[in-house]
Amino acid sequence: MTKRVLLVGAGGIGSPAALVLAQAYATGTCPPFEIVAADDDVVERSNLHRQILFSDRDVGTDKLDALVRAVADRAPGLRVVPYRGRLLPDTAIDLVRDVDVVLDATDNFASRFLGADAANIVGRPIVHSASVRWHATVLASAAGGRPCYRCLFEDLPEGPAPDCATAGVVGPVCGVAGALAAELTLRILRGDESGFGWVYTYDGRRDSLRRVPLRARATCELCGALASDRIVRLEAGRYAGDACQD
Amino acid sequence: METIVRIPTPLRTLTQGADEVAAVGATVADVIADLESKYPGIKDRLCDEKGVRKFINIFVGDEDIRFLEGLKTELKNGDRISIVPAIAGG
Repeated sequence: MTKRVLLVGAGGIGSPAALVLAQAYATGTCPPFEIVAADDDVVERSNLHRQILFSDRDVGTDKLDALVRAVADRAPGLRVVPYRGRLLPDTAIDLVRDVDVVLDATDNFASRFLGADAANIVGRPIVHSASVRWHATVLASAAGGRPCYRCLFEDLPEGPAPDCATAGVVGPVCGVAGALAAELTLRILRGDESGFGWVYTYDGRRDSLRRVPLRARATCELCGALASDRIVRLEAGRYAGDACQD
Repeated sequence: METIVRIPTPLRTLTQGADEVAAVGATVADVIADLESKYPGIKDRLCDEKGVRKFINIFVGDEDIRFLEGLKTELKNGDRISIVPAIAGG
């Protein structure tokens, strides 16, 4: 049966991740799959340095249209289902339930925590990948977590937090983050669990990739056995605040 | 005891761009206090009144200090501290 990957975000991380997925499909190095791609933006020239799936001809066009074209060029036969929108509290559960694995390539904390929560609630594995300036963080969480994203980062930052718009981002660092996230996603599609339980950090200035064990927190609100108040539904208020502004 | 602390990109504005800095202390809390004396403002980015902030992780070697003794985690010669903040860009 064809598996489905939900790619959330077709930007600096989603773009290289889609390239890796397309190449894996084209070369037959993974089981058959299709991509559900979610984004609501257009291609901008100022982002082309990191959105390497796109080119000059795509500037001003819908990212999803450009993504479908670019993937078709590289991997004929790989079906891409566009979803024009963001992950939102009232849509996330249905979107995630309909796929086998989620690749979180979003650009804001709200979507990142929302994706983690939705994936855990419906029992889907999720790969999170983020990048700011020279720094990237990638981790994969199994269905059911233990550990999960909230085991590492308990809750959204208070106040404004740096993102690509305010702090900048280095294109090749996004490339590493996207490629690594795609590789972890492909492992999950192959039934390989070796990517779970680690957090990868990449420092582009030192060209240093580190992997340290990620442990399940017993009091994790999302997957902890001893959590006093488990997250079992998506409440919009949980994903609001200064740090969620895109 | 001197410890090397890896500073993640979002905090390097406080360390004049340094990606690694030396600090002294017998525990993680001592090291953070020493960092604060050299780089004012860094403690507030790492800790609140309850301890390490929820969106910050501090590792001694490969171990998250939440699974050790938290800020009271004692340091040994040669230990290296890494700070892993939540980041959201993509």
